[in-house]
Amino acid sequence: MNLIKSTFGALAGVSLFCVTAEAEIVAKAVRGDVSKPQPAAAYWANAPVEKVSLIAQPMAIPRPAVALTPELRVQAVHDAKWLAVRLTWKDPEYSEAGHLGEFSDAVAMQFPVKSNESPPPIFMGAKDNPVHIFHWRAQYQRDQEKGKPEMTDLYPNLSVDMYPMEFKDPGTLGTSANSGREQFSPGRAEGNPQSYQKNGVDEIVAEGFSTSSVQEGHGSAASGTWAAGEWSVVIVRELNREGGSVLTVGGKTFMGFAVWQGGASEVGSRKCVTMAWTPVTLEGAQAAAR
Amino acid sequence: MSKVKNWHLGREMEYPYEESRPKKQWAIVFDLNKCIACQTCSLACKTTWTSGKGQEYMFWNNVETKPYGAYPLAWDVRVLEKLGQQSWAGGKYAGKTIFEAAEPSERAVHFAPTDQDWMYPNLGEDDCAGTVTNAGDHIGELPHDRWFFYLPRTCAHCTYPACLAACPRKAIYKREEDGIVLIDQSRCKGYGECVRACPYKKSMYNPYTRTSEKCVGCYPAVEQGLQPQCVVNCIGKIRVMGFINPPWNARADNPIDYLVHKKQIALPYYPQLGLEPNIYYIPPIHADRQYLHQMFGPQVDGAIERYRALSKDPVAAGLLTLIGSSERILHSFKVEKGVARGFAEDGSPIVDVPVTEPVIVRDAFDEKLGTARYNTP
Repeated sequence: MNLIKSTFGALAGVSLFCVTAEAEIVAKAVRGDVSKPQPAAAYWANAPVEKVSLIAQPMAIPRPAVALTPELRVQAVHDAKWLAVRLTWKDPEYSEAGHLGEFSDAVAMQFPVKSNESPPPIFMGAKDNPVHIFHWRAQYQRDQEKGKPEMTDLYPNLSVDMYPMEFKDPGTLGTSANSGREQFSPGRAEGNPQSYQKNGVDEIVAEGFSTSSVQEGHGSAASGTWAAGEWSVVIVRELNREGGSVLTVGGKTFMGFAVWQGGASEVGSRKCVTMAWTPVTLEGAQAAAR
Repeated sequence: MSKVKNWHLGREMEYPYEESRPKKQWAIVFDLNKCIACQTCSLACKTTWTSGKGQEYMFWNNVETKPYGAYPLAWDVRVLEKLGQQSWAGGKYAGKTIFEAAEPSERAVHFAPTDQDWMYPNLGEDDCAGTVTNAGDHIGELPHDRWFFYLPRTCAHCTYPACLAACPRKAIYKREEDGIVLIDQSRCKGYGECVRACPYKKSMYNPYTRTSEKCVGCYPAVEQGLQPQCVVNCIGKIRVMGFINPPWNARADNPIDYLVHKKQIALPYYPQLGLEPNIYYIPPIHADRQYLHQMFGPQVDGAIERYRALSKDPVAAGLLTLIGSSERILHSFKVEKGVARGFAEDGSPIVDVPVTEPVIVRDAFDEKLGTARYNTP
């Protein structure tokens, strides 16, 4: 109880319970197609850069001790069907996980689902008031570009006599042999999305901490590049995502952000987050015609 | 944080969740005086559970040589070092547990092993504490000044698991029916918080499925009244699995309760960490006593004394003959007229074993068959 009190005390002390942040993101309307994530596209030159402040995630334990990523730069454009968001932050080390005890660089952005006027609590939503999250990881991008790594990709010198699931002749088992193979990989046998190939970005719906659930189907894509101690990641999403968040041209909504530096063992609740929703306006269609 | 009762510590302690003891609690008792590190348990487990991709390095059951062996590398030294020096006052723990000593931002005092730490599961095997200085030296004192012992380990399916406490996804649960702690393979996201938090390092990350995995207590066997693979395959019959009650509900005819509570010869390891682990050890009688104090707490002297006197106790001797005599879980036992009897949960008999095997002496030459007898099988 003392802990909760002190946490809330600290939050109240720096007035972090305001609904909105000082920054405001304007998604520029552009002609053409933004449905492909392109970190170096020309349209980014005209999109205003909003600096969003992040702090070390303060609510759920375990928490990071320090805010490794205090600032995230956000740009957004849309083409009336797709919203593209470019997220840039400093991270001294490229990390895509793979080995034991290694974690991936990652970024996430979230939108309210029920109401674009009054968003749910910023901490991943609340019961019956979900948020729609787009979660990119360097690890997921690697999956998309090179395929899900085999053990010999992760550990090139690994030597195994044989795996019981890698039999050539399924014999009388026929196609049912495949489910037999999965039994040797519990995560896959249970259909855990984590255990299958990723496509750069996960779409997640959450109703508070520890409730996130990866959604099937893809109305989004992402691509990131790391250079000179900086990540630049573009996540594109359909404006109208059935079962998720719905954005309208000329309308307003809110966004929240989180960043993980995998090289510093940030994963799960060890992350930097925005403590207030950032208002977002999607520029009207007539602006693009200008 | 909640106040929960931890009888290993003789006091209440802090834990993130409320006390919620299962209806039955899975437990194993090991006699460390008998383990020869043949690793049959490790291989029985390996072939049953961890032969898939990403599990190459995993030993949910391992046997390490103490004091120098450890899997992962130096897990015990590192977690004790993080916790810092702590003390017992009589039978009560006066120090802090890993939950109580944790920073407010963490669930438990911990260290995070890297892959290199897992890659040498048997480093330090048979390395002896103390030095052998002269050829032909012999060990002339008790306890021995040169010693090592083997420590077989599974997940302890703790009453207060650190893995469960640390999972921010709440993907780890403790089963009400048998106390087995499981990671939900459909919900785990592989954050590795359980790998960091478990001081015994019995949660392991699978880099192929990208989820964490751990000993499942052979729950499919337990559900059918059978003991786990590592227990039934033990060729030395040094271990027995059953269900333990807390001391206030102990039953003298329950094999585990008998060894842990009535005779008090089997002790939890590193109880000071605060997890109330449910694997219990009969301490090795010849190893260094200071080391055993650190590992098993202040009860260790009494446990060794009582173990030494065990041969004079026909009931205890009977129970020891029952260990390893059936693959079924013994819920109760009885020793009468030189026979040790084990029973199922419904009271039906499982196995009868003579406490003392009859000795039969036969001549080297069989007159009837006209042939010499050999003692080879």
